[in-house]
Amino acid sequence: MQPVSRWIIYLTLLVALLCHLFPWEGRGIILRPVFMFAVLLYWLLRSPHLCNVGTAWVSGLLVDLATGSLLGQHALSFTLAAYAGVTYQRRLVLFNAWHLTGYVFLLILLERVVLLLLKLFAGNENPGWHYFWPVVTGMMLWQAMLFVFGAITKPKTR
Amino acid sequence: MLKGVHQKLEPQQTPAFFVRGASPFSRLMLYSALSIIIMAADARFSYLSSVRHAVIGALHPLEVLANAPSNWVRDTKRYFTAHHQLVQENYLLKQQAFEHRVMLQRLSAIQAENVHLRSLLNGNIPIQPKVILGEISHTGRDPFSNVVIVNRGTKHGIKAGQAVVDAKGVIGQVTRVYPFSSEVTLITDKELTIPIQIERNQLRAIAFGAGNNTLDIPYLPANVDIRVGDKLVTSGIDGIYPAGLAVATVTSILQNPESPFAKIISTPVAEVTNHLQLLLLALPEVQEADIKPVQPEPNPTEGKPDTKPVEKSKDKKPHAAR
Repeated sequence: MQPVSRWIIYLTLLVALLCHLFPWEGRGIILRPVFMFAVLLYWLLRSPHLCNVGTAWVSGLLVDLATGSLLGQHALSFTLAAYAGVTYQRRLVLFNAWHLTGYVFLLILLERVVLLLLKLFAGNENPGWHYFWPVVTGMMLWQAMLFVFGAITKPKTR
Repeated sequence: MLKGVHQKLEPQQTPAFFVRGASPFSRLMLYSALSIIIMAADARFSYLSSVRHAVIGALHPLEVLANAPSNWVRDTKRYFTAHHQLVQENYLLKQQAFEHRVMLQRLSAIQAENVHLRSLLNGNIPIQPKVILGEISHTGRDPFSNVVIVNRGTKHGIKAGQAVVDAKGVIGQVTRVYPFSSEVTLITDKELTIPIQIERNQLRAIAFGAGNNTLDIPYLPANVDIRVGDKLVTSGIDGIYPAGLAVATVTSILQNPESPFAKIISTPVAEVTNHLQLLLLALPEVQEADIKPVQPEPNPTEGKPDTKPVEKSKDKKPHAAR
């Protein structure tokens, strides 16, 4: 796992924002993953000295501004989930691919749940189970990130 | 950007084995607090609308870039539309235009008469609201909010609070305006209310958005004269929506023996999902002195028969009428 440049991280986050701004409609918008968070999570677990809770906060704020939702909603949910991710980041070396997948699944789920709670507090209606589709698609996107930028865990040595 | 903060925080800590900057927990606290402050500022005091405007303006090129592929696909599809389809559509449109012209002949006569009668009674002259044609650019980034984004903004003279309609009826109200786009909240949103009238018996009420493409008319007694299938039109007393625009049709009335009120559910008639074009009605002017008795135009842009006299201030949103 070679070190990454700061700019690669910002560029991928920008591309994620662009994907988020793409005019999704109908089923697409229900299935749309939270691009920003999946990309962020990859970098967060890979190089936390470049991409940390602060980066999560700024990207959450950008998502809020771009989507026109209540300012700070995504920022807070990203921050909390990123914190949960960073806390156990150093133990990732011990994880195998399946453990890591489960861990990331929980983190993405956490982000969704925090956001849902904030939305419900802000007076939105209950969106129903459709709301959790992005967790599944987010996992797929995360796997794609692994494929493109390389695995996080060490290759298995016998 | 946030490096400075980290460096300042660092000396307070015991040197870590790995260099990680401030501890994740202190970062969590800092950023969570910031988020909560921002949320409060945005929700309660709307201090941040100018910041939002600036950022949305700056993000506009990015948005254009993101919209480009789907626009290309749409344009290509349009280019290859079959010839006979166009001919058929042209035929239908001509027929429709003819019918409308016949109707408009009567309308102008009635409008002239109406203006005359109102002037006899020293009433206010009905205003023809100015309209701006807009197009839905997307249905919002958040699938669970009832908004659509329209490609007209402050640069085109759009103001927050304007009513938005399509050919069938009322769609909603402009709630946020950005330089090149604006956000239209649908009447089915929980935050929006609209003063209505039952077309059949002129009963006035206020409809509240209830989500899931429905409207709710609360606080009406169980024995109220409303039937399934009744049409709801705007009553015009708010000064935002001109009177007589179709809003919704009553779909179900539930009587709960434990409640003194009937639960009346209706569905909007406007078809937001079916087409892109919509009309943004200008806010009514408040300066009554400026209003001169004008001869009605022979060809008003769409079928709004009449506007009730405007008395309320223009910034008032309909949900202030609760």
